Amino acid sequence: MGYVVLIPLLPAIAFAALAPLPRSVRNRALGVAVAAVATSLALSVAAFLAVTTEAGHGADVAYHASVVFAHAGSAELGFGLLVDPVSAVMLLVVTVVGLGVQVYSLGYMHRDERRGWYFAVLSLFTAAMLTLVLADNFLQLYLAWEIMGLCSYLLIGFWHEQEAPRRASIKAFLTTRVGDAGFAVGLLIMYATTGSFAYDTVLGGLAWAPGAATAVALLFLFGAMGKSAQFPLHVWLPDAMAGPTPASALIHAATMVAAGVYLVARALPIFEASGVALTVTLVVGSVTALLGGLLAAVQHDIKKVLAYSTISQLGYMFMALGVGGFAAGMFHLVTHAFFKSLLFLGAGVIIHAAHTQDMREMGGLARHLPVTTGTFTIGALALAGIAPLSGFFSKDEILTVLLHEHQYVAFGVAIAAAFVTALYVARLWFRVFTGPVQSEGLREGHAEMLAPMVVLAAITVALGFASPAFGEFVAHHGEWPAPLMALTSTGVAVGGLLLGWFIFGRRSRVLNTRVIKQRTGPLYDVLVQKYYLDLTYDYFIVQPYARLASGLWRFDAGVIDGVVNGAGALWRQVARLGALVDARAIDGVVNGVGTAVRSAGDRVRRIQVGRVQVYQGLMAGALLLLMTWVIVKGA
Amino acid sequence: MTVGLPHFMALSAVLFSVGLYGVLTRKSTIMALMCLELMANAVNINLVAISRFVTPAEMTGQFFAVFSMVVSAAEIGLGLALVIAIYRRRKTVELGAMEELKG
Amino acid sequence: MLLSAIVFLPLIGAAVVAMLPASRANGARWLAALVAAADLVLATVLVVRFDVGAGFQFVEMAEWVGQVGIGYHLGADGISVSMVFLSALLTFLAIVASWRIEKRPGAFFALLLLLEVGMNGVFLALDFVLFYVFWELVLVPMYFLIGTWGGPRREYAALKFFLYTLFGSVFMLVGIVALYLHPAGGTFDLLVLAEAGLPASFQWWVFAAFFLGFAVKVPVFPLHTWLPDAHVEAPTAASVLLAGVLLKMGTYGFIRIAMPILPDAFAAWQPALAALAAISIVYGAALAFAQTDLKKLVAYSSVSHMGFAMLGIAAGTAEGIAGSVAVMFSHGVVTGMLFLLVGMVYERTHTRMIADVSGLSARVPVAAGLLAFASFASLGLPGLSGFVGEFLSLLGAWGSTMWPGWVVIAAVGVLLAAAYMLWMVQRVVLGVPSTAVEGIDDLSGRELFALVPLAVLTLVVGVWWDSLLRFVDPAARALAAVVGGG
Repeated sequence: MGYVVLIPLLPAIAFAALAPLPRSVRNRALGVAVAAVATSLALSVAAFLAVTTEAGHGADVAYHASVVFAHAGSAELGFGLLVDPVSAVMLLVVTVVGLGVQVYSLGYMHRDERRGWYFAVLSLFTAAMLTLVLADNFLQLYLAWEIMGLCSYLLIGFWHEQEAPRRASIKAFLTTRVGDAGFAVGLLIMYATTGSFAYDTVLGGLAWAPGAATAVALLFLFGAMGKSAQFPLHVWLPDAMAGPTPASALIHAATMVAAGVYLVARALPIFEASGVALTVTLVVGSVTALLGGLLAAVQHDIKKVLAYSTISQLGYMFMALGVGGFAAGMFHLVTHAFFKSLLFLGAGVIIHAAHTQDMREMGGLARHLPVTTGTFTIGALALAGIAPLSGFFSKDEILTVLLHEHQYVAFGVAIAAAFVTALYVARLWFRVFTGPVQSEGLREGHAEMLAPMVVLAAITVALGFASPAFGEFVAHHGEWPAPLMALTSTGVAVGGLLLGWFIFGRRSRVLNTRVIKQRTGPLYDVLVQKYYLDLTYDYFIVQPYARLASGLWRFDAGVIDGVVNGAGALWRQVARLGALVDARAIDGVVNGVGTAVRSAGDRVRRIQVGRVQVYQGLMAGALLLLMTWVIVKGA
Repeated sequence: MTVGLPHFMALSAVLFSVGLYGVLTRKSTIMALMCLELMANAVNINLVAISRFVTPAEMTGQFFAVFSMVVSAAEIGLGLALVIAIYRRRKTVELGAMEELKG
Repeated sequence: MLLSAIVFLPLIGAAVVAMLPASRANGARWLAALVAAADLVLATVLVVRFDVGAGFQFVEMAEWVGQVGIGYHLGADGISVSMVFLSALLTFLAIVASWRIEKRPGAFFALLLLLEVGMNGVFLALDFVLFYVFWELVLVPMYFLIGTWGGPRREYAALKFFLYTLFGSVFMLVGIVALYLHPAGGTFDLLVLAEAGLPASFQWWVFAAFFLGFAVKVPVFPLHTWLPDAHVEAPTAASVLLAGVLLKMGTYGFIRIAMPILPDAFAAWQPALAALAAISIVYGAALAFAQTDLKKLVAYSSVSHMGFAMLGIAAGTAEGIAGSVAVMFSHGVVTGMLFLLVGMVYERTHTRMIADVSGLSARVPVAAGLLAFASFASLGLPGLSGFVGEFLSLLGAWGSTMWPGWVVIAAVGVLLAAAYMLWMVQRVVLGVPSTAVEGIDDLSGRELFALVPLAVLTLVVGVWWDSLLRFVDPAARALAAVVGGG
């Protein structure tokens, strides 16, 4: 199975090949990147099959190779490739979504001047994510993690001629770096406690002292919160929507943001050795799930809805991990990767067609963009958790495991968040696809943009049925969701969708029927009644909830983000003050010494009067003193 | 009254002091040079006197004095030549006027 | 003979170049480049023929001033080898990058070669007097380089650099003499002194003396204020060598002299060293962030990075010391790149103000790409050499006896480094091209020739850490054992 090294290596070579080329050549060599990812996909499939065969034999690891790349003191740092069920699944996720995004980008970016560089960075990113997934030690995970941060910076800020992408990319890099600093300290503690970074040593039955385990786990969680945009380090993700949409599909749906979840999942034994860390994870996940959902429901920018939705869904994954639900968390990661990237790609087509990102300026796209509507709807329903799509199964597993571990509060939060999720999904769907058409020249996307969407939609439909198999594969324990749970969650989801339809789907119809109302007298009262009901609902539900949510949004942008921006501004002031202190005080001492010496010299200089007789007088005086001293001494 | 060593040494001291005072206070360079000569001759007197009264057999002091006189002669020649050169430049030989070495 | 050749070949070159008449400027250039290239070849031979497991090698020992016990003693261990290679490489590339200097090129190149003599000598000397001679030797050419070919405030900067460093060195001389005069010392030989058992209280004072000398050079907060002025006013080649090599002499001094000979004093001083290192890291990063002049930003970033080197030294563990040397090597290469690029930008735009230069990537993509590359290496992105030293220093520091808070502060420093570097990249490399940037040419072949080896080295060391650590680790472990593992 030596071919495994090619899986991350091929995209890396694609990057190395594309990066130094001049722009014109590079723009024509996009096929290199696509071919690399496609080959990696094929090899990933092979690796996955190898693991399934091994699993059939009862073994977990299909392939493990490593090489030491650094000796320093007692540290032996290695670079390794580990193919076990979890990494095999992740390989498939990354390469499938990666290939889909690259094919889609062939259409989406085909007129961009710098598309060659875009594909190069996508390749590097894919290589880094694959390295992260195949890592057999936490240091390698960290190294790949940081490189992904670089790629995210480059992709978010791709259209760097404009101010917003530049700002957003720095914000993303620095916010995640705050988390990374915590992650790094966690690594230091891990090394100091266990003397190694390798999964084998650190996770394989090593008895962790609760204190060290808590410290490491919480610091790792902190890093994961940055990368996976959990509250309160989530502020960079909505801004990151300034980058090209397919890049968002890859990075902010499927892969980079999932890296945090992956880290916590891999490090779960350490979390379990500390009890506290699991609780904190659960709380962070819960808060984020609900908060993210509420914020998604007040956004007008379609990409921002998806961004906050991602934040919320990642919160679900952390909730699952927070109760030790390894399989549930990972399964939701996988299903979310597919349907969220599908939604982002669909959003790309929608934005392209409607020439706007603001949903209030959209409407009635269903008639003109059939393929997009169909695939997008599948993704949306999966997000809302409607059976029998994959999102339903994965969300149910999380709910099941929460209940199973008696976390009733978290369960309640999860249910509420599910309701809100369905609500904003419906809001988005109705705003975009129904109602009067407000844009001109609506056209369906190109074939290379639609094909990946169709594939992702098909996966979303089918994957749910693999739920127990997945659990079995990854954690040796898989089952179908219980009927009661299924009914509850479906009920909640449908309820949310209905409410969404009620508020957002019907209003446009009410507006449309104003004409009919004038012509049909007897129906007038009924309509008015309905209208009154509408107003009532508006007054009692829509408005308070809108107020709550926009209040939350203002809190988010003002306070939380304000802290971030404030920290930046504060730091700028500190830095300026430091420069002043350095120049005046510290350097002042140095210059002061120079000045002091010079003025002392000036004063001493006055002895040199230039007149011979004064010198003679001084000499005579000194001689006299000397003689007196000699005589006195002799006496 | 026998004139002994103390008298010669007193004379020498007086002449030396007069010469020192003159060097330090005279305005004219030539006067300063003459006072320097006076100091040198005072030292010569001292040398000869001590040699004559303490070790009359060896004439060390007298030899030293003769050397000193020769050196003084050379030095005064040099000094006066310098004075003439300065006078040609400055039209004055007043010591107070020469402050070029002022720091 | 190899070490003597490495040290004195540039001296011969400097003498010949200096004696060439002004009309033969081109000959001067080529000769200087040739001599530097030859020295680089010799340094490479040293690297290749060095046996990583075998301690000091290529030792040359001869009596110099027998009555006082001063010997001509040269030797190289892994750390010396890496530093000598860095010095030879940067000198050669600095000469190539300064090819088109117009004002008195002969003198300029002769001074650069003379500088190389001092640098190589410091890293190879094993006798105190010899060490001190070479240490002081670098001051003179650097003073003239800054003072003659520098910017508007060059006289002030050159004088400040010279006097400040000399101030420190004087104390170092006192320390050297004290060691000689002490009954347990009695020699100027570094290796012999390392074996001597000196009383702890005596060690403390000697360490203080040496600390002043080395701390000014590193530079450690608060003795750092000569650096920004010197760097900003110096011509490009001088900045490259100043930041790339001269700063390393300070930390090298701690590693070669202060730690082996004064281990007990080191243990006593460790908390102070750790504190100053952490402060330097954060302070340098803060000040870098506040700068409006590109060269000053890079200068303050050097203060911050050398703070990491000091942190690794203060740790006293093998990982920490190895990390420290890795920082030294990487910083030399990366900051060398940065200063070369800043110089190239300045030559074209005639401004160093960040506000005036923006959008380089749109007009000069190669230069912009390399500048971004160097910036990411500087901020410690994994996969590039900067991360190696920073991580190992942190690792070594955490495992040592210093207060862990310093390590956490240093880790925050990593975040701050990203802040100032990205802020610079965002303004200078990205964005819309400013007027100063319009119509400039991209890098010439010669300039690329000066930069590419550094970029390749950054990448190689960053990916395969052992390429550097092979040399450094054995020496680091030996030293850690002496110091007692911190």
